[in-house]
Amino acid sequence: MAKSDDGIRILQGLLVFGNVVIGMCGIALTAECIFFVSDPHGLYPLLEATENDDIYAAAWIGIFVGFALFALSILGIVGVIKSNRTLLLVYIILMLITYAFEMASCITAATHRDFITPNLFLKQMLERYQKTETDNNNDIRMTERVTDTWDKLMLQNQCCGVRGPSDWQEYTSAFRSTHSDADFPWPRNCCVLDARGSPVNLDGCKLGVQGYYNSNGCYDAISGPMNTHAWGVAWFGFAILCWTFCVLLGTMFYWSRIEY
Amino acid sequence: RPHSCPRHPGARTMLPLLLLLLATAHGLNTIRYTPTLASSSLGGLITASTFTLEQPRCVFSEDPGNPVIWLVVAVPEAVPTFNDSVEPGSPERAFQRFPGSAPAYMTLNTTLLNYPCPKRPGDITVLRVGSETSCTKDGTRPTCNGPLPGPGPYRVKFISLNGSVPVEQTAWSEPITLRTAQPLSDIPAMGSGHSAGMITLTSILSILFAILLAGLVAMLVFWGSDTYGGSSTFSKPEAVTVRRYNTHHVYDQPAARL
Repeated sequence: MAKSDDGIRILQGLLVFGNVVIGMCGIALTAECIFFVSDPHGLYPLLEATENDDIYAAAWIGIFVGFALFALSILGIVGVIKSNRTLLLVYIILMLITYAFEMASCITAATHRDFITPNLFLKQMLERYQKTETDNNNDIRMTERVTDTWDKLMLQNQCCGVRGPSDWQEYTSAFRSTHSDADFPWPRNCCVLDARGSPVNLDGCKLGVQGYYNSNGCYDAISGPMNTHAWGVAWFGFAILCWTFCVLLGTMFYWSRIEY
Repeated sequence: RPHSCPRHPGARTMLPLLLLLLATAHGLNTIRYTPTLASSSLGGLITASTFTLEQPRCVFSEDPGNPVIWLVVAVPEAVPTFNDSVEPGSPERAFQRFPGSAPAYMTLNTTLLNYPCPKRPGDITVLRVGSETSCTKDGTRPTCNGPLPGPGPYRVKFISLNGSVPVEQTAWSEPITLRTAQPLSDIPAMGSGHSAGMITLTSILSILFAILLAGLVAMLVFWGSDTYGGSSTFSKPEAVTVRRYNTHHVYDQPAARL
């Protein structure tokens, strides 16, 4: 009897420890997802225009799941210490619901990360950057946001186009229909700009002289943060779920051993 | 006896010699220089309506008459029949009529002063053909350096004129073809298939969730048929309850407890 008592005490201790870790991870998940949703790199308009912004939905779910995990972990600790069957049953059922939501979030983030390819953004950029014939208000708003995002992106990262300035030469675009090829082989923001926002050497930029125009593409600047975002939500969530799996199994075992 | 007059041995070379004499009689000297595109490190070397040539430095010789060097841009079909004595700026050589009624046009006129020899190392010496967009439709500017109307190909040469008399010319360049833009609907928008990471994640999570659900079902079944505690169950620490025995009344028996 004493030995099994010790065993139960150890299990209790482990479960309390497991729940503490779940609580802390829940808070970390919430913080991480709030960080991603706040869009520090300002890339959300690009995703929104591709109608493929489910990575943000996954992050939103992550925020609420994190809170839920924290609250449930407290419930779990109380239930384990009091050895209360009802509390623990409620805990297990609510945890399973939270588990399902977090699973959805991880799988969504991982799946939609696979849709992020250079061609996706190339098509968006060529279709929307500085487009003037817009159909409705929604279109106007989206076009403005895509144009602003690209302008800021090209300015801050000293880059041009998705793969390079040749994107503007290789394909037709909305930009090309309003700006002649001779005056604007690529947009002005592809030029190296001085402090006042005008090109340092306009002729050098039009010619494509190294040092007067940005010759590298912006894809790294776009996909880097998005990959971090997607993998952060997906794999951290996966790690939490693996740990939660073990804790839940232990809790189920503990529950079945409580005297009714 | 009839004899055929043997052909002069040098007859075959007579015709080109005559032509050369004719050319030099006009004073037009053909230099052995072919106009080339500028260095390929320039990003905008060839675009859809412009191209960039190397400046003809150290090519033309000094002439006391200070001739003006012109660039001739022509469609390849006009090259064999090109007449050097047509004045630049005439309707036959107007940019605005190119390539329809004028198979060639002349532009980018400058004197030898602007092509100093030798070239300073490190200088970018280029000529951008097609950079003037303001005079594209302006009929009063037939020597406009306007954007080329189509992808070409085009052939160019430099010619120096003293007044209206051609003095020197370079050879014709190789045909230059400009870029043609693909329609953007050609870009395939759908991404690649699913990555290995995503498949691993999905399958492992699904399996774990299935195990948990099975565990929950087992738990509930266990709870439903919960009739015995088993030797490994443990009792909760309970407060001690004191049962009152009423020894005087036989009927008050304490209810049977487990």
